[in-house]
Amino acid sequence: MTRSAKNTIARLPSNGRPAKKKAAARPVTPPSRFYGTPLPGVKPEELSGTLIVIEGTDGSGRSTQIYLLTEWLESQGFAVQTMGLRRSYLVGEDIDALLAENAVTRMTLALMYSTDFFDQLERRILPALRSGLIVLADRYIFTLIARAAVRGIGRDYLHGIYETALRPDLTFWLNVRPEIAFDREFKKSQTISYWESGRDMSLSNDLFQSFIRYQSLIKREFEYLSKRHGFLELDGESSVSSVNRVLRHRIASHLGIRSTQYQPSHALAHLWR
Amino acid sequence: MVISTPDISAAADPAPAKQPAAKRAYPGALVVVEGIDGSGKSTQLYLLKRWLEIGGYRIHFTEWNSSPLVKSATRRGKQRRLLTPTTFSLLHAADFADRCERQIMPLLHGGYLVLADRYVYTAFARDGARGCSPHWLRNLYSFAPAPDITFYFRAPLDVAVNRIVAGRPKLKYYEAGMDLGISLDRSESFRIFQERILNNYDQMVETDHFVLMDGTVRVNKLQKLMRQIVGEKIALEQFAPKKK
Repeated sequence: MTRSAKNTIARLPSNGRPAKKKAAARPVTPPSRFYGTPLPGVKPEELSGTLIVIEGTDGSGRSTQIYLLTEWLESQGFAVQTMGLRRSYLVGEDIDALLAENAVTRMTLALMYSTDFFDQLERRILPALRSGLIVLADRYIFTLIARAAVRGIGRDYLHGIYETALRPDLTFWLNVRPEIAFDREFKKSQTISYWESGRDMSLSNDLFQSFIRYQSLIKREFEYLSKRHGFLELDGESSVSSVNRVLRHRIASHLGIRSTQYQPSHALAHLWR
Repeated sequence: MVISTPDISAAADPAPAKQPAAKRAYPGALVVVEGIDGSGKSTQLYLLKRWLEIGGYRIHFTEWNSSPLVKSATRRGKQRRLLTPTTFSLLHAADFADRCERQIMPLLHGGYLVLADRYVYTAFARDGARGCSPHWLRNLYSFAPAPDITFYFRAPLDVAVNRIVAGRPKLKYYEAGMDLGISLDRSESFRIFQERILNNYDQMVETDHFVLMDGTVRVNKLQKLMRQIVGEKIALEQFAPKKK
């Protein structure tokens, strides 16, 4: 069922309804499933599932939306697999340890993150896509590229590493202003993390200033990536329910789902604000 | 090395990011040995190191093995055989990056003569034999400073393989290239894997300006030649002990 929907819709250029700004220019030729050479041993035609990416900074509401979308898709009868940063069996915990020590250098960290990404991609995501599942990615290569690029690692270099990665069917960007992200993060954890405020970059001794400047740099990278990769940009500052509605509409049209009606279950009702 | 990506023309780069490690932007020098297992490279580099150490030169020796950084991940991956060609390669690249950023680069900037037992060419030859694309590998390691000399120790496959098999009771899974599924027999798999690596090395001799060293020549004779080449190509007085 997923397969037939995909065959008719998946290759069309993106015609989503971004909340703001014009849809990014995208080549008319149907994009292949990989950016460049596919991973060794992978046959693109075997991948019948759908890869949907939600990008956005901490405090943009990504994880909330993924909980809600998972429930909605499962209620529609679609099987869902999720992925996110530092969740690989291979190096997920090692990266946590490196971050805790603050002793790691930028290139090493960038490559540990790419190991983490490809371990998940090859051992969890590709098998899921071969089985026709819907994969919801809580961040993807774009966050990894943006973080490394603001630290001075070349963009072409980074795109070169990830050219063997799978191109998502849909990439949503929940765009929020750094000030709003700060408010939300602070409310959530009563503090701001070392890495989310880019303190390794010596931007400012004031934590708030450091956070704002770092997140502004990241946002600028995302604006560039959005044009380059055709993100569907959403206003991450609007309510959870309205962002969710836009996401459901766009995903429904991609998958050929008729009904986009959804009310969160009791278990998720607290997220619906 | 610049890799073209399909979407690159879609938008302009906002501000060109700094490229890491420009070549020779430092007073130090880098001498590298490469070759398959059993080619004699480590013995020769050890002797070169002893010669320089005894002479009091400012040197540092570094080798291609796992730093504490990735040791647990490598062990986990190898024990449970979870590594794919891509993750195997990336994990080693992360390990190399750590060595490069925290050891090799600071030492080159500090005016040391750095001796490396294996370098990026090991990854090009070995990961290439595992199926990673050559241009992906070249890009992955493009942050590495270019060596001043790369000695390539070449021994015939049989000589090298016999040296290794005689000295090691059991070949390890990844070492023997068992993940490639070439053969169920470990020694046979090792042999075929090493042959592929040897071929990949051979193809880099010209493009990467390897200094070809015959691994079957007597140890002391080969060492004499190696010292002579180092003396010709590197301004050793730069690394000599300072006179008071």
